[in-house]
Amino acid sequence: MSAPNSLRCLLRPSAAVPRQIAAATWTPSPWIAPFSTTPGAGKAGTTPKKNVPKPKAAAPRGVGMNPTGKKQSMKKFKKAQGAKTAKPPLPGERKAMRKRIQLSNNNALPVEGLAELEPGTMLNPKNIGTMAALPGAMQDNLRSLEAFKATQFWPMFRQPATLIRSETVDLMNRMQSAASKKETLRLVVTGERITGKSLLLLQSMAYGLQNDWVVINIPEAQELTTACTEYAPIPDTDPVQYMQNNYCLKMIQAIRKANASVLSKITTAYSHPELPQNIPINSTLLALANAAKEPESAWVVFQALWKELMRKGAARPPVLFTLDGLPHIMKVSDYRSPAFELIHSQDLALVRLFSDVLSGATSLPNGGAVLAATTRGNAPRSPSMDLALAQREAEQAGTELPKPEPYFKGYDLRSEEVLKTVSVMKLKGLSKVEARGLMEYWAASGIFRATVDEKAVAAKWALSAGVVGEMERVNLLTMHP
Amino acid sequence: MATTANSLRLCVRARNQISGLKNAPLQSALTRRALSTTPAKWAEKGTSGDAGDAGPTKFYDTTGDVLKDLAKVSKRQGRAANRMLEKWDQLPAEEVAKLDKLTKEVIQETAAIRRPTKVSKTAFWNEAEPDTDLITDEVGEDDFEENDMTSMAHGKLEEHREYREYARIAVWEMPLLAKFAKPFQPPKSDEVLRFRYTTYMGELHPADKKVVVEFSPADFKDLTDIQRLKLKKLAGARYNPEKDIIKMSCEQFEHQAQNKRYLGDLVKDMITAAKDPTDTFEDIPLDLRHHRVKVKHKFPKEWLLTEERKKELEAERKRAFLIDENKKLSGGLIDGVKRIQELQGSEAVHERVPVPSLMAGQSRKDGRARR
Repeated sequence: MSAPNSLRCLLRPSAAVPRQIAAATWTPSPWIAPFSTTPGAGKAGTTPKKNVPKPKAAAPRGVGMNPTGKKQSMKKFKKAQGAKTAKPPLPGERKAMRKRIQLSNNNALPVEGLAELEPGTMLNPKNIGTMAALPGAMQDNLRSLEAFKATQFWPMFRQPATLIRSETVDLMNRMQSAASKKETLRLVVTGERITGKSLLLLQSMAYGLQNDWVVINIPEAQELTTACTEYAPIPDTDPVQYMQNNYCLKMIQAIRKANASVLSKITTAYSHPELPQNIPINSTLLALANAAKEPESAWVVFQALWKELMRKGAARPPVLFTLDGLPHIMKVSDYRSPAFELIHSQDLALVRLFSDVLSGATSLPNGGAVLAATTRGNAPRSPSMDLALAQREAEQAGTELPKPEPYFKGYDLRSEEVLKTVSVMKLKGLSKVEARGLMEYWAASGIFRATVDEKAVAAKWALSAGVVGEMERVNLLTMHP
Repeated sequence: MATTANSLRLCVRARNQISGLKNAPLQSALTRRALSTTPAKWAEKGTSGDAGDAGPTKFYDTTGDVLKDLAKVSKRQGRAANRMLEKWDQLPAEEVAKLDKLTKEVIQETAAIRRPTKVSKTAFWNEAEPDTDLITDEVGEDDFEENDMTSMAHGKLEEHREYREYARIAVWEMPLLAKFAKPFQPPKSDEVLRFRYTTYMGELHPADKKVVVEFSPADFKDLTDIQRLKLKKLAGARYNPEKDIIKMSCEQFEHQAQNKRYLGDLVKDMITAAKDPTDTFEDIPLDLRHHRVKVKHKFPKEWLLTEERKKELEAERKRAFLIDENKKLSGGLIDGVKRIQELQGSEAVHERVPVPSLMAGQSRKDGRARR
């Protein structure tokens, strides 16, 4: 007797309703027909509904049983659905909106005395702290190289302009000396979030375009490694490398558009029998680039183009190869091999090409620069990159090298190998002179509605620690009384 | 009432002891065979009188009878009994009569106790049998008879007593402890182990056997750097890199001294192992994953407002003021609000921004897609 009683303790309270009571509630009442499509006919002169227990009352008999058979909802009231009148956006429209780059704004005031960028503007230390407008033709070129980002503050101004900061002048001078000495500048731009890393790359591209370099840009490294573009193994490679034809085609088109004037002056020195279309020797590189019409031939054309650019010759221009989002190529990619093993980013041919130049395995014979910018916002964790960059920084500063953690297993030796000998430029906050130049530009554009004096500059500079993005947030995204 | 009964009972027990004495010759009779088929032949039949026949249930009426009987038992006891009998005979008659009367009374009163109790056959485990060893029956002992304080008051009183006891100790005994005070002497260079013991002030506690030892590998002067590093590696997670201290504890043995001895031996073994040149562990990096350094932020020295810093700031403000004044004079000071007001009616504002060719193409494409 005691055992069933104690077992009963384990039952849920809802299940513990004595069977007699539950049965009583369920006793078919004379007022209710067991099954009927018509309402139950009670005795005349009585109100059956009041006395008869509804089946609902016995709901706790079985857990999860729903006598009504309807889907239970925790919501008290149903949300009234608004009438759908608007047409839903077409496929791709939302993405186009998201990626839209607006470089001008008719409502912004024109800035008096804003100088246009000239080939030597960014070399001159006197220009530190001034703004320089990007010329119209260059805007198109930079746009095709995807140098502008949607997160930047271009739509607030009448004309795109950049601040020339000390790091800009430093970098451009290094680029210039590398080009003149036919050397390769291998540099990684690093720094905290919104310190202007991508914009420094944009400035270097602007410099390259104005000084007749051939500029190649990988605007987002994650597009190459997050398995969002097609890939295929390259035949006869060991270890197997993978080409990304669609991306290659897009890149060749960008190169062609941005560097049309330079490429049309250079002629080919090799015959390229592997190309889908016959490109005779001494035809322009532009014609060679135009040979890429289908994704299938894109990788071959790109290789041919690269081979021509890598040919040492007096008439060959320096090359600028930039990449934004370095941590994305410093790890194992999201692609899978036919054996369903993850492919290392360095096994993707395009990434490998960039890494080889960055690591110094291949040098640019006509001089040039290879720049990579780290990203902090949407970046995968890459301990090897962090460590390698910290070590390079320490080397440059002449301090003790940070050591790898001996028992940490997340390091990636292939990535570390790439960054063994690069130089590092760490971006920090602006100086007050630069901050003042920027704020004066904002005030002249009619966005910053106050007098730009040293006091205002110091206040905003202190709030943002001089970090450019933070200064924009403090000044442009805040309501001022 | 109960007390008289008890004393009586004790007296009776004492008497029974005496009656037991008279059984002694029977027990010591080695002549009696343990097992026999022939009837036993007693050497001196009837000499022991009625003492042997009466058995343990025989009772004497007077003390004199007892002594007379005792004198017959054995030589040694007989001698003592005879002496006592002589003294007994010298007693005055009234005394003897009084004592005999008392004896009779005792026998009469204790008769009820001596009577064997009948245990009913149906009783379970002889529950009804009285326990003769029970001193009190504990019935009605806890009844409050309105002649005492409440138990709470007793508790309070006890508390006061305790306070006063410790107050006495504090005033009278504690000052005497100062005699045992020793001046602190920092450990010498060869005293590298630091032990920690735990006491709970005389109370028993499971943790009072625990002993902790701390030492720094840097204190072992006879070790080389490699050997010290090996010592740290041997210590594993017991090594604290921030303090450069190895800390170990032991509570596996029952006594403090045993635990301390174990730790001492362990340190000795570790040093011996560290000195062992066969494997210096140089290929194994020191594992510090167990220790996380907690960064404590301090107020930066550079931010302190020293006199120099004040001067510096003053100069900075002066410089800033001059810059602004110069700009004001040259008309280079830019005011956002003024700028908007100036340009409000001008043509430059209404001029459209020329659209670059690439953008124009894009917008046309977009427009077509939308249509």
